[in-house]
Amino acid sequence: MEERLLHVFRNTPLGRETLLQSLYFCNTLKVGLHIYVPQTTQFLMYFDHDAVQVDLDSSYMTLPDCAQAHAAELAKQYGLTPTFFTPKNFTASQLPDIPSNFNYMCCPRSITDLSSKLGLGYIGPKVRRIVKSSTFPVFLTSGVFKGWKSVAVFYGGSSNANKALSWGLHLSRISGFPLDMVTSVREHSDDYFDQELQEAGLYDAVEQHVRHWHKIAESPFEAHLYNVPHDALLVLGAYGHGLIKDLLFGSKMETIQSWMPNNILLVGPNCGFRGA
Amino acid sequence: MNFSQWLSTVKLKWAIFRSDDRLIVIALAGFVGVCSGLAAVALNRALHHLGDFAHGLHHHWWAFVLPAAGASLSALFLNTLLKERAGHGVPEVVYAVSRYGGLLRFRSSYSRLISSWLTIGSGGSAGPEAPVVMSGAALGSNIAKYFSLKERQRITLVGCGAAGAIAAIFNAPITGLVFTVEVVLGEWRAFNIIPIAIASVAGTEVSRLLQGNQIAFGHRQYSIGLADIGASFGIVVLATIVSVIFGRLLNSMHHIASRPNLPHWLRPAVGGAAVGIIAIYLPQVLGEGYGAIQDMIHGNFTAGLTIAVVAVMAKMVATALTLGWGGSGGIFAPSLMVGSLLGLVYYRLLVMLVPSGAIAGEGCFALLGMAGLVSGILQAPLTGIFLVVEITGSYEVILPLIIVSALTSTFCYYIEPGSFYLRDLIEKGQYMRPGTDARVLSDLSVRELVETDYLTVPGNMLLKEFIEVIQQSRKFLFPVEDYADARYLGIIFIDRIRPYLFDTQMHTVLMAEQVMETNVPQVTPDDELVDVLNIMENARLSSLPVVENGRFVGMLSKSVLLDHYRKELIVQTGI
Repeated sequence: MEERLLHVFRNTPLGRETLLQSLYFCNTLKVGLHIYVPQTTQFLMYFDHDAVQVDLDSSYMTLPDCAQAHAAELAKQYGLTPTFFTPKNFTASQLPDIPSNFNYMCCPRSITDLSSKLGLGYIGPKVRRIVKSSTFPVFLTSGVFKGWKSVAVFYGGSSNANKALSWGLHLSRISGFPLDMVTSVREHSDDYFDQELQEAGLYDAVEQHVRHWHKIAESPFEAHLYNVPHDALLVLGAYGHGLIKDLLFGSKMETIQSWMPNNILLVGPNCGFRGA
Repeated sequence: MNFSQWLSTVKLKWAIFRSDDRLIVIALAGFVGVCSGLAAVALNRALHHLGDFAHGLHHHWWAFVLPAAGASLSALFLNTLLKERAGHGVPEVVYAVSRYGGLLRFRSSYSRLISSWLTIGSGGSAGPEAPVVMSGAALGSNIAKYFSLKERQRITLVGCGAAGAIAAIFNAPITGLVFTVEVVLGEWRAFNIIPIAIASVAGTEVSRLLQGNQIAFGHRQYSIGLADIGASFGIVVLATIVSVIFGRLLNSMHHIASRPNLPHWLRPAVGGAAVGIIAIYLPQVLGEGYGAIQDMIHGNFTAGLTIAVVAVMAKMVATALTLGWGGSGGIFAPSLMVGSLLGLVYYRLLVMLVPSGAIAGEGCFALLGMAGLVSGILQAPLTGIFLVVEITGSYEVILPLIIVSALTSTFCYYIEPGSFYLRDLIEKGQYMRPGTDARVLSDLSVRELVETDYLTVPGNMLLKEFIEVIQQSRKFLFPVEDYADARYLGIIFIDRIRPYLFDTQMHTVLMAEQVMETNVPQVTPDDELVDVLNIMENARLSSLPVVENGRFVGMLSKSVLLDHYRKELIVQTGI
């Protein structure tokens, strides 16, 4: 069955860049594109354990009459025929329910605040809620469209990192693009990561498919991110640790999203393990 | 025992505790009841204070603006500040329980409390019960979310929140339990009853601790005779008529209010101003009306029959104006007041017609009217009975109460198949209780049931080559695709082409597209399973092809559907 990506379309130049990212993603990975053109400034997504109300900023309501035509025209350039999704169920008359049974969702870094806040280091609260609750990875796009030519997985050895790696392997296989790994080895030895990979059943796949494993031992970690290809799709786990651990020890995801302008695929704690 | 051993023991006991679905729900039920009880008490006290403040301003000529200002502020708070698209509270809870396992937003636990405080405290004709039900239910839902409980447990805690809220606001624990089971959850299950009862009691105790153990409307003794029981049938007719009118008035006012293109903060102000103007002549229409109800029950309502009749209509109109134009609140309290007035009107008419009739006082008939309206509007007879009994302490009237409640709700059901809370959901096909056929099917999808391990054959394949394919396959049907663009063309059923299989002369002559069936109904991955099953039954097929964008995806079979149906049913019912 074809995988599906949900894209909430913003009929603005910024929204065009985001849609181009989704079109490239779908075209590269043979994923079906489902576009929602909002008719109201809010919608609800019901996940297994959370109901997330997304309050869109007003730019999402720009010229709604021609939004669908604009999106279709962009999709045509890629030879794709998107499905324009219309909500069937409503929690309140102006609060449609958007299904959450997709395989991916595309978001800019913020969908609630003004476009001026779209910069490194900022991920909007609603996007964060979606990442934490969703069973699918969330595709965070960079501000301007750039086609990615490789996949880079940030691997830390945790169970969430193993999930992220499985998704990275999947994307690499389907797209045919090379796969790199990036790991900070300051806290653990190489044996630790090899053991984690063995236990997750990913060791052989890593041996076969990974082009380059960047092991960063120096500090600070972020200063050495320059080695990550500029045109790589970054794949990393998010919110796998508890709040206290994040507060005490920091979060690699926050560091990476603050430094890297690349497109990012965030694999949240409720995402499944991607099979072979 | 050292610390690590102790910690291991604690973890083991917690794991055992968590492994039993019921234990953890029972443990949390009391906590949810307390939280929702606190919310209800907070709103109650806040309404008293704001109501007293507003009452002090009623002598001014501009006092009619107060309900408008309150409703407007309420809309600004809900729509602009919190960006909450408000419904009427209880339908949203029922919708969440029906479709999404009781998932409610955290903001709903406080948003309606504040908005209804502004609406009702300033004089809007609405009740605080629906907002506290919403608040309690949202608290229960989010507590369940915090503990990562399963869907069935979360639904129970939503019920606990609703029960605790109702129990606290009326100081009526049985009413909280009955209302929740009858209206919110719609099912009586042993799994639910005990935790909901605990939550009800907890909410009641919180209310008694903070507000004292008082019956809401005081107690009077009534001597019920055969004449009263006979007379109660008349209340049934009146209550049925008024319930239907009231419900339709509320719905139609929504449509009227949506026509003018007004800013979202101004629309409620229009309704509120209209209520304020009505209140100049009939101040009883303002707020919940508990004071007027108290007077009627104690026989202290001194206004004449004409005023009482006008008050019935005015209260209904005022409530419709408040809620229909965007104010925040519920219909519980207005229903009680309209019902009391109705009972009082009926009694006075009876006394006029039969002055020597030995019937109980007008207070008794006010109670019967209350029960009739609540049972008619909500179509919840048990809630009507227990509510009146508990809030008045009048157990002697229980027989006429049962007659009025049961018959009114039954007659209303024949006229309006859904209660006020459920009507919209039923019309949109969104009223689906867990464990019902519609709900189970709505939780499954074609995408997850489709079997994709089918070998497709090109349309230009000769029968001779197709026989080789059959020999290596265990399937009894084969989808046919266009050899150029892989477009789905049809299906070959083995049992329908037997004559050709055994006629060797046909093997090098016939192609796949010549023996395929093209009139087999197809479905898409996004089709609803209810519709898919209808197609299967109409076409008498046990499998249907699933086609997306003209391409064959797989087959959907009844046997796979039944297998998943059963698993989903077990998840939803726990049986």
